[in-house]
Amino acid sequence: MTLFSLARKNIARNFSQYFLYIASMVFSIVIYFTFVTLKYSDTIEEKTASSQKLDSLMSGAAVILIFFVAIFIAYSNSFFMKKRKKEVALYALLGVRNRQIGLMLFFENLLLGLVSLVVGIVLGFLCSKGFMTILIHLMGYDVMAPFTFSGSAALNTAIVFLLIFLVTSFQGYRLIYQFKLIDLFHASKKGEAAPKSSIIVAILGVFLIVISYWLAMQDLFTSKVWEKVGFLMTALIILTTVIVGTFLLFHSVTGFVLAVIKKSEKWLWKGLHLMTISQLLYRVRGNARTLTVIAVLSATTVTAGGAVYSLYYNTNDLVKTANPNTFMYQQTDAKSDKQVSTILSGTKYDENIEALSVTFNTKELNSASAFDSSDKRIYTVINEKAYNKLAAVQHKEKLHVNNDNAVILDIGYDKRFSPKYKGKIITTENNNAITFQSFKTQTVLNAGTAGIAVVVSNDQFKALRKDGEALKYRVIGMDQASTGLSKKIAKQLPEEALFSSAPQDFQTSIEGVGSLLFIGSFLGLVFLAATGSIIYFKVLTEAEEDKPQYNMLHKMGVSTKEMRKSIASQVFVIFFVPLVVGLLHSAVALKAFSSLLMMNLAKPVLIWMIAYTVIYGLYYVLAVASYNRIITQNNKTEG
Amino acid sequence: MEPLLKVENIKKTYGKSSAAYTALEKVSFVIQEGEFVGIMGPSGAGKSTLLNMLATIDSPTEGKIYMNDTSIHDMKEAALADFRRDNLGFIFQDYNLLDSLTVKENILLPLAIAKIPAKEINIIVTRIAKVFGIEDLLAKYPYQISGGQKQRTAAARALVTEPALILADEPTGALDSKSATDLLESLSNLNENNNSTIMMVTHDAYAASFCRRIIFIKDGTLSTEIYRCDQTRKAFFQEILDILATIGGEVDDVI
Repeated sequence: MTLFSLARKNIARNFSQYFLYIASMVFSIVIYFTFVTLKYSDTIEEKTASSQKLDSLMSGAAVILIFFVAIFIAYSNSFFMKKRKKEVALYALLGVRNRQIGLMLFFENLLLGLVSLVVGIVLGFLCSKGFMTILIHLMGYDVMAPFTFSGSAALNTAIVFLLIFLVTSFQGYRLIYQFKLIDLFHASKKGEAAPKSSIIVAILGVFLIVISYWLAMQDLFTSKVWEKVGFLMTALIILTTVIVGTFLLFHSVTGFVLAVIKKSEKWLWKGLHLMTISQLLYRVRGNARTLTVIAVLSATTVTAGGAVYSLYYNTNDLVKTANPNTFMYQQTDAKSDKQVSTILSGTKYDENIEALSVTFNTKELNSASAFDSSDKRIYTVINEKAYNKLAAVQHKEKLHVNNDNAVILDIGYDKRFSPKYKGKIITTENNNAITFQSFKTQTVLNAGTAGIAVVVSNDQFKALRKDGEALKYRVIGMDQASTGLSKKIAKQLPEEALFSSAPQDFQTSIEGVGSLLFIGSFLGLVFLAATGSIIYFKVLTEAEEDKPQYNMLHKMGVSTKEMRKSIASQVFVIFFVPLVVGLLHSAVALKAFSSLLMMNLAKPVLIWMIAYTVIYGLYYVLAVASYNRIITQNNKTEG
Repeated sequence: MEPLLKVENIKKTYGKSSAAYTALEKVSFVIQEGEFVGIMGPSGAGKSTLLNMLATIDSPTEGKIYMNDTSIHDMKEAALADFRRDNLGFIFQDYNLLDSLTVKENILLPLAIAKIPAKEINIIVTRIAKVFGIEDLLAKYPYQISGGQKQRTAAARALVTEPALILADEPTGALDSKSATDLLESLSNLNENNNSTIMMVTHDAYAASFCRRIIFIKDGTLSTEIYRCDQTRKAFFQEILDILATIGGEVDDVI
C-alpha cells in the first residue's frame, strides 16, 4: 500500500471528521475565487468610469483577503491536527517511521487541499454571478450580470491556495517531529489550573480601554493630544491600548466578576449554577486570547462595514443637500435654453432666478481655526423673494431677511473650521455693508452651479446690483430624472453654464461608495464567517472535552433540560461577551467617525450592527445545537 | 421485610435479530436494605450491562427491575432523572470529578442539583468529608490532589445525598493498594454504621472481599453467590479466589 493510497483511504473513512476542515477550506476558496472573478470581470470594468480606482481598491482588498484566508486556514488546520494527534502517535507506536508519517500527513493535507480547490472553484463560479449582480445593483447600473468562467481568476486562485496548502501540508509533515510521543497521546488532555484573577490587572484592563476610548473620542483636528503625539502614533496607541485592554478584560475582569458571583453560595448552590459558573470561569480565562481575537475581529468588521454603509446610506441625502434642484445651470444664450426645453418633459417646476455674483471683503470672517482665510470671497446673492419662491417648491421653510441683514446658505458648514457667521459684517467694494443675521446649512441653489449663496432683502438686492455681476439661473425640479436625460442636457450647454445635475452626482457618488460598500460587506462577510467558525470550532472542541462531565451529571440525575440550559448559557457567554465588547469598540470608533464627518450615522450603523448580530446569532444557535447533540449522543452510547 | 431492589428475570440483547448478542439472560436476585453486595465475573460476563440497568441508564430487553416496589424502567425520562437524583449514588473508576470545581464544590454538586438550601449544604458536606478523611482538602482543586484522594472525593459525592443505593463501578480500578484499602474501609464502615446499601462491580478479589455478599456472573447468567457471614476477610478472600478459579475469572490480583 502506498502512502498516497493510505492517505486517501484515511480521508474516505473519517469523512465526518474531515468535513468541517474541508468545508472551511472550500468556503475560503469560494470567497476568494468569486472576488478575483469580479476583479477580472470585463462587464464591471466596462461599466465603471472610475475603473482604475475600483481596480486598485479590489487589488488591495484581495491582498487583505489572502492574508485573512491564510490565517483562517492555518487555524482550522491546527484545530484539525489537534484532533488527530492521538492517531499520529498510534502510528508511531506501531513502528511506522516518522518520515513516513510525515509524508502521509503531507499528502493527506495536499489531497484535501486539491479536492477543496476544485470544489471551491466550481462553487465559486456558480456564486460569482450572484455576487456580480449584487455589485452591479449596488453601483446603480442596470445591466445583466454575465455568466462566464474566468480562466485568469481560476489560475490566480489556484496559485494562491496551492501556496497556502503547501505551507499547511508542510506543517502537517512537521507535526510528528515537533512533539514527543507522550505529548501527542495527551494532546487533548489538560489539567491546568485556573489562573488567579488580580484586581490590579482587572483595573488596568478597564483603564486601558477607557484611555483608548477617550483618545478616539478626541476631535482629530482640534485635540492637543493628536497634535502633539502625531496622527499615526495616536492611532497606533489607540489600537494597542484597546487590544491589550480587551485581552486583560477577558483575562481578568470577567474572571473577577465570575469569582464575585461565585461567592454568593445561596444562588450558586442551586441546580447547575455552580457548574455553569465554574466552567465559564475556567474557560473564559483560558481562552482570553481567542476571545480577544473575536472581539477585535468583530469590532473591525462592524466599524469598517458600518462606516462604509453609512456613507452609502447617506449618499442620497448628501446629493440632495448639494443639489436641491434636479438640474440647474447658468443661462448663457436663448438658443441652448430652448434646446433644453425641448428635451425636458414632466418637470415639477422650471424657474428662472435672478442672482448676483458679488465679491465681498470678508476679513471679519477670518479666525485662527478656519481653513480658508482669504480676505475676499465671492458669494452668489439672491433676494428674499427668489429664495422663498424656491423654498416653497422645495418644501423648505420660508425666510425673512431684515433690511441690511443677510442669511448665508453654507452647506459645507462645520463649526470647527467655518467662520462664525452670526453678527459678522461683510462689505462690498462700494462699501455696502451687510450683517449676517444667521446661517443655514441648507441651500436652494445647487452648490455645483452657484457655490455659497447669500440671501438679502429685496431692497438690498437692488442696491447691490451695481456691486456685482448679474446672473440668470435656470432651476428645474423633476420627480424622476435619469442620468441619460442629464447627459442630453449637458450636451446642449456650454462649459460656462456650470450645469449641475442631481442624478449625475448621485450616480458618480454611488459608483464610488457602492463598490466600496460591496468590498466592505464582502470582506465583512468573510470576517464574520471566519469569526463564527473559529468560535464554533472552539465550542465543539470543548463539547468533546466535556463529554465525561455531562455523562456524570446524567448519571447523577440531572435532566436533559437542565443540561441544555447550562450548555446554552455557557456558550452564550463565550459567544456574546466578545460580541458586546466588539460592538462597544466599534460604536466608539463610529462615533468618532461620525463627529469627524459631522454626520448622524446612528441609523445606518444600527442597521449594520443588527445585521451582524443576527448572522452571528445563527452561529450561536448552530453551536448550541451541535454541543447538545454531542453530549446527548454520548450520554446515550456511554449509558 | 420488603427488599430494596428486586431484579426479576431480566434479559438484555444487543443488535438486530440475525446478529443478536445476548449480554444477560434470566438474571434474578434481590438486595435488602443495608447490604454490601459485590458483583464479580470475568470480562464480558455482563457486569457493566447489569450495573447500567440498575443505574437506569440502560433498559432490559425483557424482565423488570423494582426498587421499593416501583418498576424503574416504566418511568418517563424526566421522572427517571429525578429518580436517579433522589435514590442513586455513583462512584466511577475514573473519578469523574469536575476540574473546574474545588473538592468541596464537587461534593456538594448533587445537593445543589437537588436544590438543598445553602446552609444545610455546608453542614452535610463537612460531615461527609470527615467520614472520608478529606476535610483538609475541601478548598483544593482536583488537579492538586492524589488519585486516592480523588476517589474518596468521588465517593463522598456519591454518598452526600444519602442515596438508597450506592453503585460503584470498579472504584479501586485506578488506585494503588493503600488508597484502595482506605476507600474500601470507608465504604465498609459506612455500610456497617449508617446501614448504607452498596453494590460494587469489581473484578478484583481483594476489593470484593470487603463485601458481605458476592454475586458471580458468567456468560450473562448468574453463576453462583456467596455470603461472608462470620468469616474473616482473609478467609473470604480465599473463598472468592477459589470460585473465580472454577468459573475462569481473572485472578490477576492474587500476587
